[in-house]
Amino acid sequence: MTILSVRDLRTHFISRDIDNRVRVAAALNDVSFSVSAGEVLGLVGETGAGKSLTAQSICGLLRPPARVVGGEVVFDGASLLDMAPDDLNRLRGDAIAMVVQNPRTSLDPLTRIGEQLVRVHQAHRRVARPAARERALEMMAAVGIPDPTSRIDAWPHELSGGMAQRVLIAMALMNSPKLLIADEPTTGLDVTVQAQILDLLRDLVARFNMAAIVITHDLGIVAHYCERVAVMFAGGIVETGPVGAIFDNPSHPYTRNLIAATPERLAIGQASMLGGPPPDLYNLPGGCHHRDRCRYARDVCGEPPPDVELAENHRVRCHFAGDLPEPAAAATAKGAAA
Amino acid sequence: MSFGTFFLRRMLMVIPLLVGIVFVTFMLIRVGGLDPVGRLAGPTATAEEFEMIRAELGLDQPVWVQFAIYAGKVAQGDLGESWLSNRPVLDDILERTVISLELLLWGVGIGALIGIPVGVRAAFRPDGRFDQISRILSLFGFSIPTYWLGLVMLFVFFYLLGWAPPGIGRISLMVSPPDFITGSYLIDALLTANWPAFGSAFSHMVLPVICLAIVSAAPIIKHTRAIALEVLSSDAVRYARASGLPARIVRKLVLRNSATPVLTFVGTEVTGLVGTMSLIEYVFAWGGLGQYGLNAIVRGDFTAVQGYVLSLALFSVIVFLIIDFVVFLIEPRAELQ
Amino acid sequence: MTGGVATAGNGTRPAGARTAIVNRAIGLARLSPTATAGLLIILFFGFLALFADALMPHDPELAFAQRVLQPPSADHWLGTDGNGMDVLSRVIYGSRFGFGIAIPAVLISLLIGIPVGLFAGYRGGMLDEVLMRFFDGLRVFPSIILALAVVAATGPSLLNVVLVLGFLDSPVFARVVRSEVLALRSSVFVEAAVAAGNPTWRIMFVHLLPNAIQGAMAQSAVRAAWAVRISATLAFLGVGIQAPTPEWGAMIRQGAEFMITGQWWVALFPGIALIFLVFGLNMFGDGLQELLNPRRKAAK
Repeated sequence: MTILSVRDLRTHFISRDIDNRVRVAAALNDVSFSVSAGEVLGLVGETGAGKSLTAQSICGLLRPPARVVGGEVVFDGASLLDMAPDDLNRLRGDAIAMVVQNPRTSLDPLTRIGEQLVRVHQAHRRVARPAARERALEMMAAVGIPDPTSRIDAWPHELSGGMAQRVLIAMALMNSPKLLIADEPTTGLDVTVQAQILDLLRDLVARFNMAAIVITHDLGIVAHYCERVAVMFAGGIVETGPVGAIFDNPSHPYTRNLIAATPERLAIGQASMLGGPPPDLYNLPGGCHHRDRCRYARDVCGEPPPDVELAENHRVRCHFAGDLPEPAAAATAKGAAA
Repeated sequence: MSFGTFFLRRMLMVIPLLVGIVFVTFMLIRVGGLDPVGRLAGPTATAEEFEMIRAELGLDQPVWVQFAIYAGKVAQGDLGESWLSNRPVLDDILERTVISLELLLWGVGIGALIGIPVGVRAAFRPDGRFDQISRILSLFGFSIPTYWLGLVMLFVFFYLLGWAPPGIGRISLMVSPPDFITGSYLIDALLTANWPAFGSAFSHMVLPVICLAIVSAAPIIKHTRAIALEVLSSDAVRYARASGLPARIVRKLVLRNSATPVLTFVGTEVTGLVGTMSLIEYVFAWGGLGQYGLNAIVRGDFTAVQGYVLSLALFSVIVFLIIDFVVFLIEPRAELQ
Repeated sequence: MTGGVATAGNGTRPAGARTAIVNRAIGLARLSPTATAGLLIILFFGFLALFADALMPHDPELAFAQRVLQPPSADHWLGTDGNGMDVLSRVIYGSRFGFGIAIPAVLISLLIGIPVGLFAGYRGGMLDEVLMRFFDGLRVFPSIILALAVVAATGPSLLNVVLVLGFLDSPVFARVVRSEVLALRSSVFVEAAVAAGNPTWRIMFVHLLPNAIQGAMAQSAVRAAWAVRISATLAFLGVGIQAPTPEWGAMIRQGAEFMITGQWWVALFPGIALIFLVFGLNMFGDGLQELLNPRRKAAK
């Protein structure tokens, strides 16, 4: 069952420069994807590709000068982009829950964690305090926080990064969400803790039958923990499909570079240098946005690339989808250099 | 860390600061190269008389010895004698402190009551109309010379409208001041139920307090806004919004997280406004420490100037200490520092 | 991005058929209305100061013995003061003191503060520690009072006022530069310069200084406002420039006694001039700082 479906989502940054000219940065260009219950979608791409912006656009958390200028977002049968801000706010933290980067600074430093769990529950449900506290203890146990009864009165600054992230996950679970968006949930955590948190997330998705989006720049995470993957480049999804299909048969040149540059579990923090700097969002090249960085680019790439369905659910935006030359030695060499 | 340990540690850290303060006040006179001897000796003094006075004042000793003597005297509470009042400077200062504190606390208190809500409201809608107007007003408040504002207020409310007393002192000459309890006419009159004195003291207080409140509100607006903006863009608030907490709760969260830095700023502000307060006292002939100090500066009574500057610095140190203690007590994270 | 070529709906679009200069002016005014308004006010006073001789209707120190304390009239637009001098001429002339004190005072602060901040930030260690402690310690003295006391002690002359204000304000710039240098010290380009064998002075003045100086520059307008204010305060107390020199603070001092006897114009007008010059400098400085703050810039 499809929980969230995003179609042709476009988000722009609109501002004026020092010469009073309108400047438009096309930050998201026709982003389309969907997630079903019980499924984990990995949203992967380099810094600035628009992963987090996609999440913010969906949840209505954009701040000026960013603005959704087109497309549609349907969550559980309701159109989120047409929703009144207050209604959308009621949905956030309830049916749509978020887990963010920097768990330690994201908790309210002046409120004990139990109180914060209760607060998010009571913001969305009419529950008495004792019941809410009971629920908080239950969720803390569910996310593997040892000794919840004593931890519930801890201050945020007393928690380690991994523990704080577990608290955020417990917080997300408080109102039994249908959709969980995890934005770089393990960046900045120890490698062992990373694995624990991701295992936990995957188990919880299965247990509560949620739909989940994991935003990351780490293909290793995608390979291990996601069912499907969407690869983002310059504000668009260039390739999407089941994890197996993407890794076995990467069909967009950018996906190929990405995989070639990623030994297992190696974060690609510097990925923006894969074959060149990211394109200028204020001045995107017409046609295929990837052509300036693409080894296969021909004249035809000046035209917008078609959206090709290679196999069941495996879609690629490329003029040469399906008949790219086999990834040769050149690709690996390039990857190694990056 | 317990409060006791924190208290002791903080007090120990103050000691070098106190030495530094005494050193700066000591140097204050020496940089001027002013010759107090000439003033004391008078125009007809002979060379021997000059030398005698120099020796008496210890001016023939090396600088560091002079400093040691001065510091020793200060430590014993001996700030010298004012030649304007012919009394020990310490006595002059002590009897004027409450008078000034009364003006300062009312002024900054009202300034904070105006400034904090305005700053917070401006921050919630940056670049909105309220923000822009309050920003211009705050910058304007920054730019008004206090003494000029006081004069204009006297012109409008005393000369033109006749609502305010003429701005000489803290109480009308026709009313006898209340019995001395705290030194504040307002409180003493209240405690002794002396209503005529209370009314007169109150009416004398209105203009200077409003003056100080206007001038102190300006920086409080600016900094409260900056602090609240910072909190608003913090991870914690962004996460609170992402969790769908109602606007009311988000607002409360912002206020609570802004409280400590705003409190710290207002405290610092109190110490910085002592100069402004002095000017207001000067214009309204308030008779407090500020007027005493400015008079001493204008008339060249340097022993009194030293005492005045020293007492203002000590006041700052005490305020900073109080802020630190309060922050320690209200902040759950303070143990980490 | 100066070409202004429109590409496929994205990118930079020219804003109508206005000329480039007008567009630049409108763009600046939109980007920071505060800085623009402040700049206009400063330019206005700069104009007064430069062309004071041509603009003044009378000699600012000429006493009309028959016309003492006259209210504003056709002859004396802003009235005359207690000596029978023309208030308008004196207000116009007074703008020279505003700039004449603020500009050299800020220059002195910059000349002291920038090298000190540069050294403290780059060298670090004991020197840095001691300097910063010293600057922290200075904060317990209210700046107005310290300036007043030192000027009074050194003697009231224009030169002393400028020197004292310049010295007392230099820690502000030292702090700003130091914090920028600290941030830059470990950056790649500085490390590359060190690795390339550049001498220390070269790294500090050629590589660090141009990058660290922005904040200090934005600060200088605000500090100029402070210098104008304090120097006027000194003159008001009779510690700085002395009457009958047409300095605004000294004029307010002269007019103070007349405020409660109804001759408001003597003190009112120099006060208004003072407010607006300080206001203009503050607005300009505030706007500049906002433009330099990347977070706020993004929000516009």
